[in-house]
Amino acid sequence: MKYLGMDRMDRKVVVPGDLLSEDAKKSGDGTFIKDGKVYSLLYGLANYRDKINVIPLSGKYIPASGDNVIGIVKDITFSNWIVDISSPYDGLLHISEFPKRIESEEMSKYLRIGSSIMTKVKDVDPTMKVELTLNDKKLGPIKTGQVVEISHTRVPRLIGKGGSMISMLKKEVNCNIFVGQNGRIWINGAAGDTDLALKTILLIEREAHTNGLTDRIVEFLKKEKVARS
Amino acid sequence: MTSVISEIKKDFLYNLVLKGERADGRSFDQYREISIERDVIRKAEGSALVKLGLSQVLVGIKMQPGEPFPDSPNRGVIITNAELVPLASPMFEPGPPNEVGIELARLVDRGVRESKAVNLEALCVVPGKQVWIIFIDVHILDDCGNILDAASLGAIAALLTTKVPANKFGLGEDYMLPVRDIPIATTAIEFNDVLMLDPGIDEESIANTKLTVISSTDGSICGMQKSGTGTLKPEQIYRIVDIACEKAKEIREKFLEV
Amino acid sequence: MIAMDETDISFFKDGLRLDGRREDQLRPIKMEVGVLARADGSCYIEMGGNKVIAAVYGPREVHPRHLQDVTRAIVRYRYNMASFSVEERKRPGPDRRSYELSKVSREALEPVILTNYFPRSVIDVFVEVLQADAGTRTAGINAAAVALADAGIPMKSMISSCAAGKVADTIVLDPMKEEDNFGQADLPIAMTPNGDITLMQMDGRLSIDEFHKAVEMAMKGAQDIYQMQRKALVDKYSQLEGEPHREEVQACD
Repeated sequence: MKYLGMDRMDRKVVVPGDLLSEDAKKSGDGTFIKDGKVYSLLYGLANYRDKINVIPLSGKYIPASGDNVIGIVKDITFSNWIVDISSPYDGLLHISEFPKRIESEEMSKYLRIGSSIMTKVKDVDPTMKVELTLNDKKLGPIKTGQVVEISHTRVPRLIGKGGSMISMLKKEVNCNIFVGQNGRIWINGAAGDTDLALKTILLIEREAHTNGLTDRIVEFLKKEKVARS
Repeated sequence: MTSVISEIKKDFLYNLVLKGERADGRSFDQYREISIERDVIRKAEGSALVKLGLSQVLVGIKMQPGEPFPDSPNRGVIITNAELVPLASPMFEPGPPNEVGIELARLVDRGVRESKAVNLEALCVVPGKQVWIIFIDVHILDDCGNILDAASLGAIAALLTTKVPANKFGLGEDYMLPVRDIPIATTAIEFNDVLMLDPGIDEESIANTKLTVISSTDGSICGMQKSGTGTLKPEQIYRIVDIACEKAKEIREKFLEV
Repeated sequence: MIAMDETDISFFKDGLRLDGRREDQLRPIKMEVGVLARADGSCYIEMGGNKVIAAVYGPREVHPRHLQDVTRAIVRYRYNMASFSVEERKRPGPDRRSYELSKVSREALEPVILTNYFPRSVIDVFVEVLQADAGTRTAGINAAAVALADAGIPMKSMISSCAAGKVADTIVLDPMKEEDNFGQADLPIAMTPNGDITLMQMDGRLSIDEFHKAVEMAMKGAQDIYQMQRKALVDKYSQLEGEPHREEVQACD
């Protein structure tokens, strides 16, 4: 059974330039205003709420201050680790943002090229210079577990309203999960549990744009756990 | 342009290998799904689009009469080129082929030439003056690993569909290019002492060494190339050659023998 | 090659063109969105005998760094023809024609791309002509616009491209190879669905009246192509959209 997006009253597939509303006040994410009317900027799903937001299917992760991200060290300079954060913009982790006081010569001892880190975006300036930090208990180098990459556009769905989806998932699979806004997700736990977590995350990614997902995931987890016991 | 692969991912792949597994669930000697579409470019004398997993390679054959090389006045000419166009990968840059692209073209050429798949003497029109020139042009469309094997497959598949355009040049009627052999390239990589065939893009980036074996229909080897900065023991090479020839036979029988 | 004289061909027979089309008819068009795995966005298009594939990478880091613009993304467009795409095998690599086509094609798309969203980055558009049959630049722009949308690049609108020509003193839409080679004028355009022109080129000779007629015809053609681009994009999303039936979730293993 297939629903075409266009049958819904509240959601519609749109392309750049599509007229969404004659009321400029309704302009939300992924839209622009011209001559008092609202148009889509993106190819994606237009969500009609108090404001009209267009949710893209694809697109690059653009870092914003406060985002949790998982990065991979790609270069080391005198006082910065240059970190790949799966974005057109690299993150800069300054030596002073490392939780321990270390010397410049020691930098590669702690984080070398290829190391993965759970980090946070401290600041983004208008030229898109991205500063990262590790100064927080929840952040640090990744030594165990798995990192999976999904499209960053699906992360809000994985987290859920007020974190509902991700808290439910963490509890049900009994794993540590760190969700990077850039689509990289760290999972740590017992072997069978991380497998289930991974499967569930990939399922959420595939069906992020559909209705009733939370209920289906709850059911899916129930069935999987029964099957495994 | 290079991209850094995380240690976590390397460890993940190594651990899978220790368990005898690959990330996409294949066995070590298993090829991804292959599809070959022939005659996709009508304007060319021959063509084939090869899909190997998600990798996509298009090969076109053009023919025209021309002058033979001075050292082989009675033989046709084969010129093989590969374009690793930037559309196919974030790692490809615009410009003339670099050493990787040139190596790929020369390997595809080696397979066709050394297997004597095309009878070059038969392509002589006027001895010493006019011969047929065959252009094998490899156009990479999507690099998801092992584009060499895909390109080599595409080249022979395209040659098998090639029609010599004699009529256009006033040299008689068009006829199918006679192809006497079906060379197939099979590539294996080595890492952590494990050998695996048909590397995907991640596997390629962590491999130390690559070995490509080109074999003929009768099972003999007509080309070989080791690349990468690692080393191989003779036993590993012999093993790869055995598996490669077997795989090549399977692929040949499934896709190219009419 | 046996030379052809334009007087040898009669371009119209019983009011129809050499391929059976009316004056104002487009050649058959087929579009497929998202055909490449590595690219951020892609589109394969067939327009008559043209087979063209467009891919978009970006926004991404600019190499070499000195090309960076601190205030916005730069847009690069590279039009390239495969050696086997034309009748006489073409030497690989860009020539003067492809540099010009790349420039005007980039300028056809750039006006609608919101480059200020992505300082210090580049949006790369690559167009490969796999088989050429007159109108490769218009096919390239049509595919590129779809590939940009597929890549999630924010744009004020789509861009659609179409050419008109003049053969045997008649204005025709979307000239095919023989009409292009032996015709009297060729006028490719690109525009937004609102009719804002972003590309216009002409070679040949047209009276002012003929020019008006050709522009009108090409714009109508572009409008029709826009509907096809829109449909190709919407259809692809609907395929992915399909809400699974309960049974499907249970079977997921």
